[in-house]
Amino acid sequence: MSGVRAVRISIESACEKQVQEVGLDGTETYLQPLSMSQNLARLAQRIDFSQGSGSEEEEAAGPEGDAQDWAGAGSSADQDDEEGLVKFQPSLWPWDSVRNNLRSALTEMCVLYDVLSIVRDKKFMTLDPVSQDAVPPKQNPQTLQLISKKKSLAGAAQILLKGAERLTKSVTENQENKLQRDFNSELLRLRQHWKLRKVGDKILGDLSYRSAGSLFPHHGTFEVIKNTDIDLDKKIPEDYCPLDVQIPSDLEGSAYIKVSIQKQAPDIGDLGTVNLFKRPLPKSKPGSPHWQTKLEAAQNVLLCKEIFAQLSREAVQFKSQIPHIVVKNQIISQPFPSLQLSISLCHSSNDKKSQKSATEKQSPEDHLYVLEHNLHLLMREFHKQTLSSITMPHPASAPFGHKRMRLSGPQAFDKNEINSLQSSEGLLEKIIKQAKHIFLRSRTAATIDSLASRIEDPQIQAHWSNINDVYESSVKVLITSQGYEQICKWAWIAISFPLRTTFAASHVSWSIQLQLNIGVEQIRVVHRDGRVITLSHQEQELQDFLLSQMSQHQVHAVQQLAKVMGWQVLSFSNHVGLGPIESIGNASAITVASPNGDYAISVRNGPESGSKIMVQFPRNQCKDLPKSDVLQDSKWNHLRGPFREVQWNKMEGRNFVYKMELLMSALSPCLL
Amino acid sequence: MGVTCVSQMPVAEGKSVQQTVELLTRKLEMLGAEKQGTFCVDCETYHTASSTLGSQGQAGKLMYVMHNSEYPLSCFALFENGPCLIADTNFDVLMVKLKGFFQSAKASKIETRGTRYQYCDFLVKVGTVTMGPSARGISVEVEYGPCVVPSDCWSLLLEFLQSFLGSHTPGAPAVFGNRHDAVYGPADTVVQYMELFNKIRKQQQIVFPHR
Repeated sequence: MSGVRAVRISIESACEKQVQEVGLDGTETYLQPLSMSQNLARLAQRIDFSQGSGSEEEEAAGPEGDAQDWAGAGSSADQDDEEGLVKFQPSLWPWDSVRNNLRSALTEMCVLYDVLSIVRDKKFMTLDPVSQDAVPPKQNPQTLQLISKKKSLAGAAQILLKGAERLTKSVTENQENKLQRDFNSELLRLRQHWKLRKVGDKILGDLSYRSAGSLFPHHGTFEVIKNTDIDLDKKIPEDYCPLDVQIPSDLEGSAYIKVSIQKQAPDIGDLGTVNLFKRPLPKSKPGSPHWQTKLEAAQNVLLCKEIFAQLSREAVQFKSQIPHIVVKNQIISQPFPSLQLSISLCHSSNDKKSQKSATEKQSPEDHLYVLEHNLHLLMREFHKQTLSSITMPHPASAPFGHKRMRLSGPQAFDKNEINSLQSSEGLLEKIIKQAKHIFLRSRTAATIDSLASRIEDPQIQAHWSNINDVYESSVKVLITSQGYEQICKWAWIAISFPLRTTFAASHVSWSIQLQLNIGVEQIRVVHRDGRVITLSHQEQELQDFLLSQMSQHQVHAVQQLAKVMGWQVLSFSNHVGLGPIESIGNASAITVASPNGDYAISVRNGPESGSKIMVQFPRNQCKDLPKSDVLQDSKWNHLRGPFREVQWNKMEGRNFVYKMELLMSALSPCLL
Repeated sequence: MGVTCVSQMPVAEGKSVQQTVELLTRKLEMLGAEKQGTFCVDCETYHTASSTLGSQGQAGKLMYVMHNSEYPLSCFALFENGPCLIADTNFDVLMVKLKGFFQSAKASKIETRGTRYQYCDFLVKVGTVTMGPSARGISVEVEYGPCVVPSDCWSLLLEFLQSFLGSHTPGAPAVFGNRHDAVYGPADTVVQYMELFNKIRKQQQIVFPHR
């Protein structure tokens, strides 16, 4: 302490004067601090002089009580004395405690300063760090990251698990509620299939085809009502649906259009009694709710009504040669004489009354499903025409119609061109044409089949084309002899090579091939040799024609056979003018001579008269010839002479050409 | 659309228009033509309005608006030596809107009505030209359907015309002369009719006091 300079410390008294008052201009008036005499007076007021004797007795009792603890008593007495001594000192030096505290602080600071200066030299004292477990500095951030990532992932996982838990809860809730099926969810399902709109507090729907292009005036609205007649106490039935649809009363039940062709015209009294039969309702798709089947059935009824309304309107408006009869729900027309086409709308409602009456089942075999289907398609096509891209979009000033019609003004179309643009055929006409074609086709097929089964020689084959039109079908009819198809075909194949035209020209006849094009009212036959024949719808005509072709075939086959066998064709005619007149077609005839000229065979075949075969023998083989003087030389006896008829039915061989071949081979002498 | 020749048949002496028409139609029916309905060609005249005339003071052009029943959805608008427009029937409505620019000439509507005959490839139309209530003349139109080039079939047409018109056979129409090898169109027919109507209108000024 002696070498330390004196440190000057400035001290300021902290006791500030109390503010007595603050003037209006902010000056403060301080209270004068109490002087010594005033302080004394204040302290004296505090002393309670009445308790003075009590404090003395306590002092006396104090030491007497501690007489046993002599050291404690003595020390306490000493402390009392010291305290008494100490009590005197503060009155001499009020800053003493401050001075002492400062002095001790200074001492401490000096010591610290000394220690630091010694430590700085590192000669006598050094600072030694406290040894700790060494933590590698590199691992620190990684583990920290790992731990932090783990924590954050755990947090995210927690959130996701919470969400998943919520979802599974809702899904299980939904599944539980499925049986109960909320009205709104069912309404949503309904809305996915049908157009709905809200009118006031009712929900209405539209099941007409108006948005698809129909012009039928039926409104086709159905009402969606809430199904509230459910008793919650009872078990909810399996097919319970909180939604129910109410369809218009005239669309209830099921309907279809029956198209049938009958051969006999019925009595007039039968008109109007439509043969209804209750077609079994088409099975609804499993899983489709009951309102779907109900609405679909109602829509079908509406479409059938529209079709029938269109047909009956056309039947009444358009004039045809034979007027159509429209009675109640049936349209009757006559496409061919003795044929009757009836189109009827069969609408069976679900009443119990009608179910009883419809127990008698009419044969559904004469119902042409194809035509019914076509009617539906035609109606839909008509709908599409009003909305087709040909008509829409269109200028606001132009009327609806075919796009080319707009050009008809500026390009000065005449009536023919305008008519070609407008389709003038109505639904009824189209259906009648289709019905005619179907009938004609089936009758042609029946004719050909009956002929094929009745006549075995020659054989008749029909190859029907797979691809047909609604108004046209075609069939290829081949007439061949069994076992001898190659003879006829060989000639045909030769023709098809264009290089061999010269060779082909020598083959005059070949097998009969007919191409029949069955149209709406006529059958057009194209023959192999280029002839085109038009047959009417009468089946007798076709039958006669085929019979005549078959008879011609036999003669043609003989001609081909003669070429193969080496026999010479002397004469050949498709239409022979001799002999009995045939009622169907004409008879054909051929005469062939044997290779050495000895024999000749003459064949006459007619469709009705059958075949007649005669053989000509050389004169020297005939015994019953009258001798005459005309022939001088015997060489003339080698010429062919009289004819003799062959009993063809006793001839061996399964068909005509086989028999002919046997005959020819029998008449050609063997050279061996 | 085939090549068409429009000509006028003068009224036979001492006979009325009606009787001449009957004579012609009887000749045609004897030839073997079949009646196929009626036809009508009419023409309205418009002046260009004086307000739109330039300061040069040129005379207003005449515009003719014609209809032909052979082309029922079309309307023809043509100037005298100028272009011919083929338009939709809405053109008539447009003319009403253009009243400010085109004014209809009074009592100018002229039309021809008659019967249509089909004779193989020929289409013959014999009609009475009327202006107002009075009949002014007879128009004969012959169309040869298969051909569209006038120069190729004019001789055939002439021969056919001679067969039933006799001495009143016309010469080649002016429209043929313009473009011999060009394709004939409906506008040319309408131009021929316009010329015929103009001729009849001019004629009438002389003939009228007669009848």
